[in-house]
Amino acid sequence: MIRIFVPRDAAARAVGADKVAAAVEAEAKRLGQDLQLVRTGSRGLFWLEPMLEVETPQGRIAFGPVTAKDVPALFAAQFGATHPLHLGKPEEIPFLKRQTRITFARCGIVDPLSIADYRAHGGYLGLAKARSLGAAGTVEEVTKSGLRGRGGAGFPTGIKWKTVADTAADRKYIVCNADEGDSGTYDDRMIMEGDPFALIEGMTIAGFAVGATKGYVYIRSEYPDAIRTMERAVSLAEAEGLLGEAAGFEIEIRVGAGAYVCGEETALLDSLEGKRGQVRAKPPLPAHKGLFGKPTVINNLVSLATVPAILADGAKHYADLGMGRSRGTMPIQIAGNVKQGGLFEAAFGLTLGQIVDEIGGGTHSGRPARAVQVGGPLGAYFPRALFDTPFDYEAFAAKDGLIGHGGVVVFDDTVDMAHQARFALEFCAIESCGKCTPCRIGSTRGVETMDKVMRGERAEANLALIEDLCQTLKFGSLCALGGFTPYPVMSAIKHFPEDFKRPPLRVAAE
Amino acid sequence: MSLVHETDYGTPASKSTEQVTLTIDGQQVTVAAGTSIMRAAMDTGIQVPKLCATDSVDAFGSCRLCLVEIQGRAGTPASCTTPVMPGMVVSTQTERLKQIRKGVMELYISDHPLDCLTCAANGDCELQDMAGAVGLRDVRYGYKGENHLDEAKDESNPYFTFDASKCIVCSRCVRACEEVQGTFALTIQGRGFESKVSAGALDDDFLSSECVSCGACVQACPTATLSEKSLIEIGQPEHSVVTTCAYCGVGCSFKAEMRGEELVRMVPYKGGQANHGHSCVKGRFAWGYANHKERILKPMMRESIDQPWREVSWEDAIGRVASEFKRLQEKRGRLAIGGITSSRCTNEETYLVQKLIRGGFGNNNVDTCARVCHSPTGYGLNNTLGTSAGTQDFDSVEQADVILVIGANPTDAHPVFASRMKKRLREGARLIVIDPRRTDLVRTPHVEADFHLPLRPGTNAAMLNAIAHTIVTEGLAKESFVREFCDLDAFEHWAEFIVRPENSPETVGALSGVAPEDIRGAARLYATGGNAAIYYGLGVTEHSQGTTAVMGLANLAMLTGNMGRRGVGVNPLRGQNNVQGSCDMGSFPHELTGYRHISDDAMRATFEVLWGRKLDAEPGLRIPNMFDAAIDGNFLGLYVQGEDILQSDPNTAHVVAALKAMECVVVQDLFLNETANYAHVFLPGSTFLEKDGTFTNAERRINMVRKVMTPKNGGYADWEITMMISNAMGFPMNYTHPSQIMDEIAQMTPTFRGVSYDLIEKMGSVQWPCNEKAPEGTPIMHVGGFVRGKGNFLVTEYVPTEERTGPRFPLLLTTGRILSQYNVGAQTRRTGNVAWHAEDVLEIHPHDAEQRGVRDGDWVKLDSRSGGTSLRAKVTDRVAPGVVYTTFHHPDTQANVVTTDFSDWATNCPEYKVTAVQVAPSNGPSDWQRGYKEQADQSRRIVRVAAE
Amino acid sequence: MSDDTKLVSMANQIGTFFMPQRQPDPAAAIANHLRKFWDPRMRAAIVAHLDKGGAGLDTAVREAVQRLKEADAHR
Repeated sequence: MIRIFVPRDAAARAVGADKVAAAVEAEAKRLGQDLQLVRTGSRGLFWLEPMLEVETPQGRIAFGPVTAKDVPALFAAQFGATHPLHLGKPEEIPFLKRQTRITFARCGIVDPLSIADYRAHGGYLGLAKARSLGAAGTVEEVTKSGLRGRGGAGFPTGIKWKTVADTAADRKYIVCNADEGDSGTYDDRMIMEGDPFALIEGMTIAGFAVGATKGYVYIRSEYPDAIRTMERAVSLAEAEGLLGEAAGFEIEIRVGAGAYVCGEETALLDSLEGKRGQVRAKPPLPAHKGLFGKPTVINNLVSLATVPAILADGAKHYADLGMGRSRGTMPIQIAGNVKQGGLFEAAFGLTLGQIVDEIGGGTHSGRPARAVQVGGPLGAYFPRALFDTPFDYEAFAAKDGLIGHGGVVVFDDTVDMAHQARFALEFCAIESCGKCTPCRIGSTRGVETMDKVMRGERAEANLALIEDLCQTLKFGSLCALGGFTPYPVMSAIKHFPEDFKRPPLRVAAE
Repeated sequence: MSLVHETDYGTPASKSTEQVTLTIDGQQVTVAAGTSIMRAAMDTGIQVPKLCATDSVDAFGSCRLCLVEIQGRAGTPASCTTPVMPGMVVSTQTERLKQIRKGVMELYISDHPLDCLTCAANGDCELQDMAGAVGLRDVRYGYKGENHLDEAKDESNPYFTFDASKCIVCSRCVRACEEVQGTFALTIQGRGFESKVSAGALDDDFLSSECVSCGACVQACPTATLSEKSLIEIGQPEHSVVTTCAYCGVGCSFKAEMRGEELVRMVPYKGGQANHGHSCVKGRFAWGYANHKERILKPMMRESIDQPWREVSWEDAIGRVASEFKRLQEKRGRLAIGGITSSRCTNEETYLVQKLIRGGFGNNNVDTCARVCHSPTGYGLNNTLGTSAGTQDFDSVEQADVILVIGANPTDAHPVFASRMKKRLREGARLIVIDPRRTDLVRTPHVEADFHLPLRPGTNAAMLNAIAHTIVTEGLAKESFVREFCDLDAFEHWAEFIVRPENSPETVGALSGVAPEDIRGAARLYATGGNAAIYYGLGVTEHSQGTTAVMGLANLAMLTGNMGRRGVGVNPLRGQNNVQGSCDMGSFPHELTGYRHISDDAMRATFEVLWGRKLDAEPGLRIPNMFDAAIDGNFLGLYVQGEDILQSDPNTAHVVAALKAMECVVVQDLFLNETANYAHVFLPGSTFLEKDGTFTNAERRINMVRKVMTPKNGGYADWEITMMISNAMGFPMNYTHPSQIMDEIAQMTPTFRGVSYDLIEKMGSVQWPCNEKAPEGTPIMHVGGFVRGKGNFLVTEYVPTEERTGPRFPLLLTTGRILSQYNVGAQTRRTGNVAWHAEDVLEIHPHDAEQRGVRDGDWVKLDSRSGGTSLRAKVTDRVAPGVVYTTFHHPDTQANVVTTDFSDWATNCPEYKVTAVQVAPSNGPSDWQRGYKEQADQSRRIVRVAAE
Repeated sequence: MSDDTKLVSMANQIGTFFMPQRQPDPAAAIANHLRKFWDPRMRAAIVAHLDKGGAGLDTAVREAVQRLKEADAHR
C-alpha cells in the first residue's frame, strides 16, 4: 500500500494538480497497486506545484513540479531519488526549512477535511487550553502573545477581544474577514483550503473568550474552492458536535459579491447584514456596535487561525518570536516577477532584500528587481535602496509603507512606475464604494490627472495636483481604500521620479 | 418680516442626561454625553463646514468637510461621527484642515454645473455656502473630466424635481427617506463615481416608485437637486411665518415661505412639537387648492335649489341668512334651525358658531363632524377615565415597547405620526395590528407586525373582550395598578363578565374569523411586553358599538397598568385637523366648552351672564337627528360651516331628502361642495392661510394658526362671517382678533383657564388641561391617578350590529382613506395629489372577484340596502375573502350612497365601517350617479355679477 | 318624529349597554342617558310611542321611558 499526497489547493489545481491526482489513481490501478491518495492543502512552494509527496518509512518525500505525464515514470522509479523531479524531504527544502511555521504548521500536511488528522496534528488542544484558562484568561493569553490583526491594520487582537468581552449585550458575534481582495495575497485562501479546522477552532475560542455564540465567515466569491471546503468543514464539525447548539457556538459561511471594499471591516458588516457594502463611520467601533448593532469581534482569518497554536503552545512561545512591537510570525506571500513565489511564514524581522533576493531568488525574468509593492494594491512601492527595511509594522510605517496583509509583489526594471501610480488610482476608482467624496470623485480625477501627466500635459502642475489630491485622499477619506491609495502613488513619485518626467505634449500643428 | 431661521446642528440631539465638558477652538463647552463634536461646536456658535450632515438624520461621515483635529489623536476625524469626550481639545480650523476642505470642495465642484445664477437654490444652497466657507478659488482638474452634468431630470412627481446633474451624493435624501419617513424608497445605485440616487428599481421614476412624496428628501437636500416646483417657478421666498397644517389631526407645524402674499412653499418646522420637522404629501405640497380656480370668492344666494346661483354683496347674503332664520323660527318655533361647526376651522371659529346657535338661535341644535367620527371616543373615555381625549402626547411613542393599532391606518391617514411609530418599531418595539385589512403597517420595510388579527368588520368589541379575557384568565393583569387606581367594585363586576366563555378567544375567534392562538398571543404580548400603547381610529368608533369598543380599550389599558406614564395609554388618532378642538369648544348639542353638560345650571348661568342670553337647558339635535327632524318637517334651517355633510354622512339618499326638506341651508365653504347643491345661501370661506387662530390636534395640543395672506373672499376670516350673522340676528359679537375669543374660552373653561395666545407664543404650543394645576399644560394624562377619580371598568358586552349579510348582500363593505387624499377630497382633489389617487376603487379579494367574474380594473356595481354606486375594482388579498373596501374621497363615487344609517348606541356616530353589500360587474356609472351628476351640474350654475 | 321604529331601536341599543352594568337600577341609567343626549322632541316622541303601547321596547327601556315621562311631566 502506498500513500500519496497531492494538493487540492486552488494554486496547485491551477497548474494541473487534479490531472496529476487522476494520473496517480489511474497508474496505481493499472499496476494493481494499493493506493491511498490524500488531497492536502499546499505547502506554499508555488514554483514547485503540483508538488506530489509520497509516504516512506523515512518520512514524506516530495517531487515537483509534477505533470500527469510524469506520473508513470514516478511509479516506475518507485518514487526514488533517481527521478529528476525528486526534491527530497519537503521540510528540508531551503524555502520551507527557513520558515517558522505556526499558523501554517499543518497546511499541506493534513487532509483538510479530516478532523482525526487535525486532532492528530495538535488540533483542538488550543480550545481545551482556552477552556482551562477561562474566558478572561484566554483573552489575557491572546493579549500577551502580542498577536496583531493580520488583515493589515495590525491592531492588537487581545485588546479587540477584551473590548467585546467587556461590552454587555444579549448577543455577540465573531466575524471572520476572509474577503482576501489584495492582489498578490493568498494566505487566507490557503488556510481555508488546507487547514479549515484551524479557523473553526480559532473562531470557537474567540466566541468562548468574548461570550459570542455565533460566527460568520465572510468569503469572497472569487474563492469557490475555499467556500466549498469551509462549508464541508463546518458540516463535519457540526456532525462531530464541535459546532452547533450543543457546542455553544455555530458558524455560518457567507459569500461576498465581488466588492474589494467589503474587505473593509465595516463595509463587510453592512454586506453581511444584507445591505449595500458601504463603509461605516467609526465610532461606533464594531466591538461596541458591530453586526446587527451587537458587539462584534471582526478579525482577519489569519489572526483567528493563529489563535489555537498560541493557546496550545502558550503566549510566550509566540511572543518570543519577532521584533519590536511585531511579535510572532507573519505569513509573507511572495508573488509577481519572482523566481520562487509562495508562502513564507517567518518571524518578523527579515529584511525586504532577504525576502526578495534570497528567499524569492530574485526575479523570474532574471532582470534586476526594481520595485517591490508590499502590502497589497494600496501598499507602497519600495526601491532597492530600501531593501534593508525589516519586515515589521513600525519599520515599514517609518518608510511611508505598510506590510498590510503580507503581500510582496516584485517588479523588474521594465516596469513603468507612472503607469503603476495610475493603476493605483484606477484601482481605487473601480473599487470605491462611493460613500466619501475624496475617494468617490478623487480617484477618478486622479486617473484623469495622471493621464495628463503621462501625456506630458502641464506635467509639473498636474503632478503637483496629484500630490495635493493624495493629501486630500490620505487625510480626507473615510476608510483605508481612499486613505491608502496615496501610498503606491506617492511612493512611486518619490522613489521613481524619472518615470514621471514625460516629454511635453506637442500640439499637433495643422 | 424675514425668513424664520432654524439652526441646523448637523446631528440629532443626544438624549443622555450625563454632561461632558470639552474645549473647542479655545472655548469651553458643556454638552450631553453622546453629542457629536459638530453639534457641540454649533452649540457655541462655531460652525464646522459640512454637507452630508443635517440634524434630522444620524451622522454619516461621507462628505469629509467637517474633519477636525483632536489633541493627542492622530488623523482628522469627522466631527459629525465623533462623539465628545471629557477634556477633549478640538480645533476646527487648522492649516491642514483648510487644505483638506479645499481639496474636497475642488472635487465636488469639478462635477457640478456652474449655473449658480440661474439655479433655483441660488441663495439657499449649502454647496454654494461651503465653497465660500472653504475659500475655493480654482478647480485645477478642469471641467472636462468624467461627470454627471448630462444626467436627466426626473420631473415625474407633481411637486418636486430631481435634477441628478446637481446631486452631490451626500445620501441625505436616502437617509431622510429611511430614518425620518421610514419608506426606504430611495437608494444609492452603482458604486464609486457611478453612485447616484435612485428611486426604487432601475426603471422607476419618483412617481412610479414607492415614494410617498412626504418631502423629507427635498427638505434634506443641500443643493437644488431636489427642489419644489413652486420654488423653481417663483424663486426664493423673502419671509416666512410659522403656522399649523389644516389637514389631519397630527397638527404639523409648517413655515409658510412667502414672496409678499404669494406662497412659495410650505416647509415643515423643526420646532413643531407634533411633527419635529417632518411632513406628508398633503401638508407639504397639497396647498394649491387655496388658489384653485373653482374657489368661490363672492357670496351667492338663490330662492330655490333649482335656480342658478346669483352673486350678491356680503350685506345682502348676511341679511338673507338672518331674515330667513328668523322667519323659520317664527314659522316652526325656536328649535326649527341649527348649525354645524367645522372641525377644519379654528377653535375660535368653532366656539363662535356654537355661541351663535346657543345664544343667537336660542337652542342647542349644534353639532360637529366629530359626530360622525370620534364622538364615541369622547363618551367612552370620559366614562372610564374621566377625560374625552387621548392620554398621551405623540412623543410618548418613543418609549412604547408594544404598539397596538386597531381600526387605524396611520401610514395613510396620519402619516407623520406613522413615521415616528415606524421609527420606534424599527428600534425594536413590537406591533399588534387589529384590522380587517392588511394595512401597510402590517408589513413595511423593516417593520413587521408580530400579530395581525384580520377580524370581520363589526367584531371589535368581541375581539377586545377576548384579549381582556385572556389577560384575566391567564393571570397577566397588573393587579397592583387596578387595586391602587381603579374602582374595585366595578372591576370585580367586570371581571366576572369578562371571564365568561362567550368572551374566550375560541368563541370570539369563531365569530371574528381570527385564530384563537393569535388572539391569545396578541393578548400576552400586550400584557407582558413592557410599555404598551394603544392607537386607534375610526375603525373603532364608526360602529354600532363604537363607544363600547372605546371602553374596551380603556379597560385593557387599566387592566394592564398601561396608563399614566410615557410609552403607554389610549390614543385616538383624530381625523381632521381640529376635530379635538371642535369637541373641546362645545360643539356637541349636549355640552358647553370643556365637556360640561348643558343641564348644569350653575355652569350654564356663567355663560348666560357673559353672553346676556338665557340658554336652553335641554340637549339639542345631533346631526342624524337633524336629518330625521327635517324629514319630519320640524327642522327647516341649517348653517353649515366648513363641512360637506352630503358627501361625508352616511346614507346619502337620506341626507339629500333631509336637505331638500329644509327651507334655508347656508353653506360656508371654500368650494361649491356637494351640500351646496342643496343650499340657498353660499358664504365664501377663508383658508387656513388667511386667518389667525388655533387648532387642537389629537394629542390635545393647541397650535397657532397664523395669517399669511389677506382672505381672498373680500377680506373675511370665517370667524368674522359668523360674527356678521350673529350681529344681523341681534346677538352682538364684537371681537377684533381671535385672541380675544380664546381669552373668553379660557375664562369660561376650567381646562383652558391658563391658555392664552401669549402662552402659546411663548411655548410654541400647549396641551390642555392648562390651568392653575398645570400652568404649562399636560402632555400625559392620568399621572398618579385618573381624572375621574378611580378608573371605571365598564361591561362591554358584544352585540352584533343589525346590519347583516345575507344572500342578497353577502359581502361586508368597510371604508377608509388613502394617503394622498383627505376626507371628502374637496381640498386634495384640487391639487396635484390626484396623480396618486384619481378615483375611489373597490378592493376585493381574488376569491370573491373570481366568483363574480370581476377582473382588476373592471367597473363594478356596489349595492347595499341603502343604495348603489359604481366604481372600478382592484383585486387584492389585502382584504380578506368576504370583505370589500373603498375610500370616500370622490363625489363621483359617493361611497356613502351605500352606507346605512345604523349608528353607535351612545352617540349616533354612524356605522360606516360595516355595510352588507353585493358586488357585480357593471358597464359604468349607476343611474344614481348619473342623476346626481346632472343635479349637481344644474345646481352649480352661477350668474356672475359684472366686474365693478 | 314619525319614524318610531328607529327611535325604539336606538333606545333599545342604549338599554342593551346599560342592562349588564353594575348598578341597582338599569332603568334609571337608561333614562338618564336619554335625558342627557336626546333632544326634547325625540324624548317626547318615544314617550308618545310608549303611550301608544310601546311596541318593541325592551322591558328596562320601557321602564326608563316611563320614568322619563314622569320626570318630564314634573318640569
